[in-house]
Amino acid sequence: MSVLHKKATGSIGSQPRGRGSRLGFDRADTQITTMRWMTAGLLAASSLAVSLDASATPIFARQTGQNCMACHAGGQFPELTPYGRLFKLTGFTLGKRTPIPLAVMGVFGSTTVGPAQTPAPSSPGHTATDGTPTFYTGSIFAGGKITDNIGMLAQYTWGNYNGSNGASFGGGSDNTDIRYANRVISNNNDIIYGVSLNNNPGVEDVWNSSQTWGYGVVPGSTGSPAGYTILDGGLAAQAVGADAYLYWNKAIYAEVGAYRTGNGVFSFLTQNNGGQAYLANTSPYVRLAYTHEWGAQNIEVGYTFFDADVFEGTDTLGNTYTNSGPYDEHRDNAFDFQYQYLLDPHTVTFEFSRINEVINPNGAGAVNFTGALGQGQVNETKAKVSYTYKARYGAALGYYNFSSNAAFAGYQANAGTTATDYFGDGTVTAFVPEIFFIPVQNVRIGLQYTMYTQIPTQTAANQTFTGANANGQPWNSSDFNEAFLYVWAAY
Amino acid sequence: MKKITLSLALALTALASGCANLEHSRDVANPAVTGKVMAEQTCSMCHGVDGNSINPTFPKLAGQQKEYLSDELKFFRSHNRSDPAGSEYMWGISRHLTDQQIAQLADYYAAQKRIPQPSTNVPLEELGKNIFLNGIQDGARTVPACQTCHGADAHGHGVFPYIAGQHADYIRKQLDIFKETEERDEKVGEMMKNETHDLSSEEMKAVAAYIATMP
Repeated sequence: MSVLHKKATGSIGSQPRGRGSRLGFDRADTQITTMRWMTAGLLAASSLAVSLDASATPIFARQTGQNCMACHAGGQFPELTPYGRLFKLTGFTLGKRTPIPLAVMGVFGSTTVGPAQTPAPSSPGHTATDGTPTFYTGSIFAGGKITDNIGMLAQYTWGNYNGSNGASFGGGSDNTDIRYANRVISNNNDIIYGVSLNNNPGVEDVWNSSQTWGYGVVPGSTGSPAGYTILDGGLAAQAVGADAYLYWNKAIYAEVGAYRTGNGVFSFLTQNNGGQAYLANTSPYVRLAYTHEWGAQNIEVGYTFFDADVFEGTDTLGNTYTNSGPYDEHRDNAFDFQYQYLLDPHTVTFEFSRINEVINPNGAGAVNFTGALGQGQVNETKAKVSYTYKARYGAALGYYNFSSNAAFAGYQANAGTTATDYFGDGTVTAFVPEIFFIPVQNVRIGLQYTMYTQIPTQTAANQTFTGANANGQPWNSSDFNEAFLYVWAAY
Repeated sequence: MKKITLSLALALTALASGCANLEHSRDVANPAVTGKVMAEQTCSMCHGVDGNSINPTFPKLAGQQKEYLSDELKFFRSHNRSDPAGSEYMWGISRHLTDQQIAQLADYYAAQKRIPQPSTNVPLEELGKNIFLNGIQDGARTVPACQTCHGADAHGHGVFPYIAGQHADYIRKQLDIFKETEERDEKVGEMMKNETHDLSSEEMKAVAAYIATMP
């Protein structure tokens, strides 16, 4: 079994893919992935066919009585429109409180992988990537408007498969965002402010170019993998934090937050996450953005800072830790940009992000305490452009490029996994074309293809690429390609 | 940890209390929320705080005739207006509006000042101006002048809406809806169907372009 395969399926959907391992807790094959897009999707899937009004739609649709496309660009959840962003920033409080604040979502599909990562079938007989039609994952959502100032969205996700071994997984806590928000309007000022309690730095963000909600395509897909960085889902359903934010005149957005380990009284936000990551200190989070809207177009330019000290799982002496001992500081600086054109029948969206993460050891016994490895460096670039016609027919092209240095691999190795973890070092580049069809507003059918154009250099020490093709030659990057056919529905 | 637990308990208590904040409410089903608060907190998300929307999907409401706006809100509420954008966005928002809230909303927007669109295509706007002022008499084709009902300044009167400065894309789409569908209410729909029957797509575009620039 190639590690690439493990990566592709080790987490349900597009999430952490072994990221937990490098943070000192091995959840590559055991965690339920935080399905951010799902959340967005459902939230967003906030409405069904107009004729059905509010009776057969997800929570937010029932609450507002509006169509999905009101909040989701071209109906493609989870991408938010300017209105959808305001809905979230004002605490999910617009509309009418629903008597049964629950909704469900599921993905049924089939994944086929290239020869380099053909899965080895095992109990119960097939895996999630051997082309077998499979119910991938499902979520239940609770939330919506609670008071005039308080609203929430809480997600519990069940995954059919636990990585590539074909075993069943189970369920666990997923994206949760509980908000207090208020909006004050005067002659020259329109101020929205609030506080979010959540379990994933970035889950509270409203722009599609941010890591949590951007680039996520479909639950279960491989087209939007979590990157190497801790900002890109590294603490999803692991940490808990509070963020205070302010949005002034729909132009300037500022947010400051702090995160800590999601244990104790907050453990309900991190249940069954496959192993708890422990933060050594309170982790600061800063988000700044400028937005502008003109005509049918709008843009956002943003910056994010996050600094998390995460305990290592094992020190260089072989000692195992949970919430003590040496830790690694992960310092992320991210730039993001997004553009939207929204005018029936056309919807065009573009999103881009670039994250730089620097990793430094702290404490005797830390993997790189002597500095022998040098500073860990990770760069992560993601982009996506999409188009929908009449909020019904759509196509998208995604791109990602992850790169890291040798020192980063060293951190990974120390964190309880091998340096051969997929993306462990070197560079990976992929393009992800997709076509989709939205027959009714809460159902999306699509075909996505992940085309690898660059994979890390193959070495004897890099077991990701252990094996060879039929001719005895090393795998090509295209040998890892994947096709994903899916039906994604919310109710 | 005890402090955190206590804080959480207090927060949950506050959540459970469900207290209303009528001055800043986005509740669309509470008759106690005034039209002004509703306009500022809810409607403004698409139509702008001052009623001058940015995205042409959403019509400008600033300066709109009270009677026209009241009628339209009631048509949305009763589903007698079902053009796609209207129903997708407005049916849900209007479903619990009271007549009093509708009247207050109409008052709010009537008091706002509309900001016209800049000129972008002078030749097209000139063609539109001619149709607006004089209509079309071209063989079998007859299109009455828009100013006949909407006024020379296009500010409307009573049930005739204020269309000056409106988004061109919105006007063009509505003209097409009047001509091709029965999705607008009978009151306005039948009247405008006669007006648009002989109007070509290009002429709709022209007249919309001109009206959008009118102060």
